[in-house]
Amino acid sequence: MKSLATLVALVASLAAPAQDTGELVRIVTCPVYRDTDAGRKSGCWLATDRESGQRYDVSWSPYKPDWNYAILVEGRVSEEPPTPCGDTVLRPVRTSRLYEIPCTRHMLPAEAYPGRKYKLQGRYIDPLSVPRKTPPGPYAQRTFTAYFEYGNDFLIYQYDDYLLDNAATWIRAAKPGKLVVTGFAATDPVEVSGVTLAEPVELARQRAETIAETLRRLVPGIPVETRWQAGTTRSDDPDADTIPGQAERRVEIRAVF
Amino acid sequence: MARHRFSVQSVFLLLATVIGAAAVSIAAARPPLPRWWSPGEGRVFPEQLDYQNDEGTLRLLLTGGKLDTKGHPFFEPIGRNGRACVTCHQPADAMSLSAQSARERWDATGGKDPLFAAYDGSNCPSLPQGARASHSLLLDRGLIRIERAWPVREWNGKAVTPDFTITVVRDPNGCNSGPDHGPEHGNISVYRRPRPVANMKYLLAAGFPFDPKQGYALPIDPRTGKMMSGNIMADNRTGTLRLQMEDAGSTHLQMLKRLGEADISRIEDFEKRIFTAQQVGKEAGALDTLGAKGGPAHLRDSEPGALGSIGEPVWSEFAKWEDISPEDAKTLTPAQLAFRQSVARGAKVFRDKTFLISDTAGINSRIGFGNPVRNSCVFCHNMSQMGNDVAPGQVDLGTTTMPFADPMPDLPLFRITCLKAPHPHYGRVFYTMDPGFALTSGRCGDVGKITLQSMRGLAARAPYFSNGLAKDLRGVVDYYDRRYDIGYTEQEKRDLVNLMSVL
Repeated sequence: MKSLATLVALVASLAAPAQDTGELVRIVTCPVYRDTDAGRKSGCWLATDRESGQRYDVSWSPYKPDWNYAILVEGRVSEEPPTPCGDTVLRPVRTSRLYEIPCTRHMLPAEAYPGRKYKLQGRYIDPLSVPRKTPPGPYAQRTFTAYFEYGNDFLIYQYDDYLLDNAATWIRAAKPGKLVVTGFAATDPVEVSGVTLAEPVELARQRAETIAETLRRLVPGIPVETRWQAGTTRSDDPDADTIPGQAERRVEIRAVF
Repeated sequence: MARHRFSVQSVFLLLATVIGAAAVSIAAARPPLPRWWSPGEGRVFPEQLDYQNDEGTLRLLLTGGKLDTKGHPFFEPIGRNGRACVTCHQPADAMSLSAQSARERWDATGGKDPLFAAYDGSNCPSLPQGARASHSLLLDRGLIRIERAWPVREWNGKAVTPDFTITVVRDPNGCNSGPDHGPEHGNISVYRRPRPVANMKYLLAAGFPFDPKQGYALPIDPRTGKMMSGNIMADNRTGTLRLQMEDAGSTHLQMLKRLGEADISRIEDFEKRIFTAQQVGKEAGALDTLGAKGGPAHLRDSEPGALGSIGEPVWSEFAKWEDISPEDAKTLTPAQLAFRQSVARGAKVFRDKTFLISDTAGINSRIGFGNPVRNSCVFCHNMSQMGNDVAPGQVDLGTTTMPFADPMPDLPLFRITCLKAPHPHYGRVFYTMDPGFALTSGRCGDVGKITLQSMRGLAARAPYFSNGLAKDLRGVVDYYDRRYDIGYTEQEKRDLVNLMSVL
């Protein structure tokens, strides 16, 4: 059954942006905003690896930086040309805001870089007015996953909402007896760019409760149990986009019959 | 500018009376209907009702036929202060209340109208009620006192432990200190504009199942099982019309008992049937001509809850005026043509002129659009036909919170201290005149967030923003221009004002 679930997840992941398996980059740094203007949401987010001096374009992150705070960058070097923003593109990429580390806000002018014209793509949901397609049965125990930025229990727009909308559509059709929601946090300390990173165990509980509350609203009437687990754990779910750190910061939703 | 004192309908009625004077005795002539709707008048609310204002004519449409308001709980004084819902939701003011109407009512009644009830129609009940100065916030800024519980309660009445403390720094009206008032006595007084009770299907529409600003699915109304839009109240303290009515009944109307089921149903029925928008522009003429779709009929007939970016673009009602043919132009006066072109340009500026939005909770945090993010007015004002937010619209524009808000020394000022994480944009300690949504959620990160509202009928209901910060439409544009350093040209400002004047 697990293989079936993996297959379904793989098929679902085809909706996500194209990924590659380029070199993994993991740094902590201050973000810089480049004020490119190709219309709405077209600005560039840049992040420099202080050790190598290499600056990256991290604009593809679904959760973007705040120029007042440091970010944890996790991404893979892409072969996309640097044309839009001027720097090596990381894609897939995640940027987590580190609110404990203030940064001096800095904005670069466009300097003739065009930025990227915003286009609705990847993981986004339809309005409620669009009927969801009922996934075909038979239905059996299945696990869905939602992901979070480092140190955060906030649902990521155009990422988690997409994953949860798909999960809720399946759950409505399958009508499991209950949902078991398990929160995970990356609690094992790691040092990145001289900064020790370790999520508190409490965050695993908060993530589980955030998702549980959302499920109670999306699929009312189905009992939801929450659990949480200490210690960093891995996952090979394709929706983590080959970023190991992303896979660790997750909630699993197990539909039990 | 002095405003017309009577509705257009009443002027027509008067005209008809004059024309018929030869055949009908003067004693039989019907007196003109006053612009102000007093509680318990028993008027008939017609299917179509027009009122003139400084920018032209506002139209109200009531679907399902006219309504005899005699005995109707929206129009009857069902509380002990003599007010009805209609007192603060006046048809001529687009079902809101303009400061000018409040002033006119003060002058007409010597301050005796139930509108000026001590409880919330004065700056504080403890003040001498006969003095105009005791009602200055209502008369000068159109503000009603809102008393919220402290510590806070959610929309469902559930007690919340706030993650911030609140200290009164300035209390010019005495309603946040003294023997009965203030956080030490379990309440906080803030002052807000009444929100329009019209075009409700749009404000109730849930476009998507998630609230991306709060990071949850939308909450569900336990009575109906439907998701709640989060767009009714400034601080989202009530998620349904029923809850709003119960809240208003026990506070603004000072009812001693709860509203009955039949009354709730009748009020909700009326509120869902009423649509309003500007119908005629003083300069533009009829707003539904030469292909334009201004006026409330288009509102009445459209599906609510659509995102302008994937459907009918926001304010595309005036797209046909972008390129008025020479032949059509001949049917207009030069002033009409110029104004219509200005409105069309304003709609494009509203949609297309981007600027950097920064340090705005609800946009730049906690949601991950980035701080800053480049976008235009329609980033938030994104619902087709209405310009409110398809998602629950709790955003901190800074209109109530320092350093972005104007000083406004006649309003109270509170010091907020975050007990857990500092506010991402203001830090651990900051100052606000109205914590807004945080008085419902209890979260420090929500301080200053005020729910976006409808942009319809603006010409009829100055001043603007929840605390009346902008006295006119130009004031709205100027606030945004300095808050986000947009750099609008004078022409763009005029175009935006002209656009808003015809909504």
